[in-house]
Amino acid sequence: MKSDGASKLKSVLTGGGFAVTAECGPPRGANAEIVHKKGEWLKGCVDAVNVTDNQTAVVRMSSLAACLHLLELGIEPVMQMVTRDRNRIALQSDVIGAYSLGIRNMLCLSGDHQSLGSQPEASNVFDIDSVNLVHAVRVMRDEGKDMSGFALNGAPDMFIGAAENPFADPLSYRVVRLAKKIAAGVDFIQTQCVYDLPRFKEWMRMAREEGLTEKVYIMAGITPLKSAKMAQFMATKVAGMDVPEAVIKRMSGVTGPAALEEGQKIALETIAELRTIPGVRGIHIMAIEAEEQVPELVKAAGLLPRPVK
Amino acid sequence: MGSKFEPKIHVFYCVNAFDQGVFSTHDSKNAARIQSVKMPCSSTIKDIFMLKAFECSADGVMVVGCPAGKCKRVDGNVRAAKRVAWVQKLLDEIGMSGKRLVYTASGETDAALTLLLKGLVELGPNPVKPIAQANPE
Amino acid sequence: MIVAKQKPIAELKEMLRPYQKVLILGCGTCVKTCFAGGEDEAATLSVALRLAFGQEGKSIKTEELTVERQCEDAFIQEAAQAVTRNEAVLSLACGAGVQAMARRFGKAVLLPGVNTTFIGVLEKPGLFTEECSGCGDCELDTFGGICPVTRCSKRLMNGPCGGSKNGKCEVSPDIDCAWQLIIDRLTALGQLENLKRYIPAKDWRPSLAGGPRRLLREDHVI
Repeated sequence: MKSDGASKLKSVLTGGGFAVTAECGPPRGANAEIVHKKGEWLKGCVDAVNVTDNQTAVVRMSSLAACLHLLELGIEPVMQMVTRDRNRIALQSDVIGAYSLGIRNMLCLSGDHQSLGSQPEASNVFDIDSVNLVHAVRVMRDEGKDMSGFALNGAPDMFIGAAENPFADPLSYRVVRLAKKIAAGVDFIQTQCVYDLPRFKEWMRMAREEGLTEKVYIMAGITPLKSAKMAQFMATKVAGMDVPEAVIKRMSGVTGPAALEEGQKIALETIAELRTIPGVRGIHIMAIEAEEQVPELVKAAGLLPRPVK
Repeated sequence: MGSKFEPKIHVFYCVNAFDQGVFSTHDSKNAARIQSVKMPCSSTIKDIFMLKAFECSADGVMVVGCPAGKCKRVDGNVRAAKRVAWVQKLLDEIGMSGKRLVYTASGETDAALTLLLKGLVELGPNPVKPIAQANPE
Repeated sequence: MIVAKQKPIAELKEMLRPYQKVLILGCGTCVKTCFAGGEDEAATLSVALRLAFGQEGKSIKTEELTVERQCEDAFIQEAAQAVTRNEAVLSLACGAGVQAMARRFGKAVLLPGVNTTFIGVLEKPGLFTEECSGCGDCELDTFGGICPVTRCSKRLMNGPCGGSKNGKCEVSPDIDCAWQLIIDRLTALGQLENLKRYIPAKDWRPSLAGGPRRLLREDHVI
């Protein structure tokens, strides 16, 4: 089922609305039912769904394939592409292929290093980086040319996204990098999940100062915590993640269903706070293997109903 | 069966570590099984000397350096100890057990020797001995 | 220099098992400086291998010889007789040296005794680190003398990535984030502007990706 041509996510953002996206991690196998199940949870409560690309360097159903499954359910996907596994030839090929199948949004990433994944013995590609990919897709879209300058028979009119991490080092340079991505052609940014509001606010302030919030739609990442263990894991084992002591403490005080509730509470408080920050144009909910939490969260945050195309 | 196994030990020692520059042990019983080699500094004891000792039918090897902080060449004893650790790993790789080789500071020699001998009785004779004799190089 | 590490004894044993007389050929340049295959290491390995085989009651005859460099014909010629009188050559040179030997001594069995790893420097006594991957198009002027192609685990031209934390790479706490180093250095030099412009996708043609490379100096061909 092809999309009717326009990106709903783009229309929400360009129309001045507050966008909501979520994430769907494809299964480690050919079982499409898993994608359908996740899709059913997310349908109707978000504007678009990101589909990860061999996330954490673990072999999963390809992003392109999973995006297609979501399209069939009437859900708008955001195809994530990492530059770790494919060279520029394959990447460009997949972009035009994806567009021909009805995919209208993509997110350009470098990708987690394969040494951290399930097949660390694999080589990597990294022929180009995520900023090069943003640039390439913009040229394909706006000039109808591939990276060799060849005039494409059908240009992909993609809404181009990238990720930024306000919590990785060095903080001062993060905004320089954001500016570079914007200059390269990025339309929207999704950030790493926010627990440390003061740091996030600082990053947003720096972005505003540089005039960047006028040029790009920034969507803040949200991941509801499920337990004290998860909070600890995120704080210590996930690269580029910042979880303040206060948050860990709140989660450590509760167990079981009470912990889930506390995690939701923190997420809702964060969302409420984020909506007050000028330049934040939406939220991106990464409910890792907990997609069923999303509808309730979006509803409780007062973000339903989502605009229909 | 055969006679009781009495381990043979080669000792490489630093000339500065002992009075009159001679390796001495208070246990004369042990002394009978020791072949000692005097070196200008424990750091001059190369990997190959330790290995050659085993090739020349030693069951165990001891390297003796000056006590910590007392090396006349500042860190010669530190280097010697590190080198011994390296060769211990190599001996494990070879399949001969790094426990056959020890580093000790003078002043602790007797205790170290006793410990080494005990260990060697458990480990048994140098497994390479017969071949070493057949391959004089 | 080229940095290499001697192969484990177990692996060397299996390679040498079919042979009774082996030449252990050391190299006096790069592998000597990283303690993998110089004259000392060849001598030590010789004894270690005899002990290792002796363990299983097998005798092996080893001969040692070290030449200045195994990557130059003028030097490896010196090994000709030693090569002929042995059944196999265990070369402790880097991969280039082993291949130069194989090229020169077509009928000899050439076995690699070390694992060649990288082009690097001696960062401090005992520590060698990788610095250059021979991309064929050096841009160290842009990056303040720190190579993102080699030292960034993802070869980013517009780094850093989101995994940089406390100046370390997500791959290992032993690896400094090259981009943190680049940013710090360029800031200190007052050249951070270098990074504010878009750096295009790298042309990999001059690198190994374009096929094994050659350098021909006509002025030296007679």
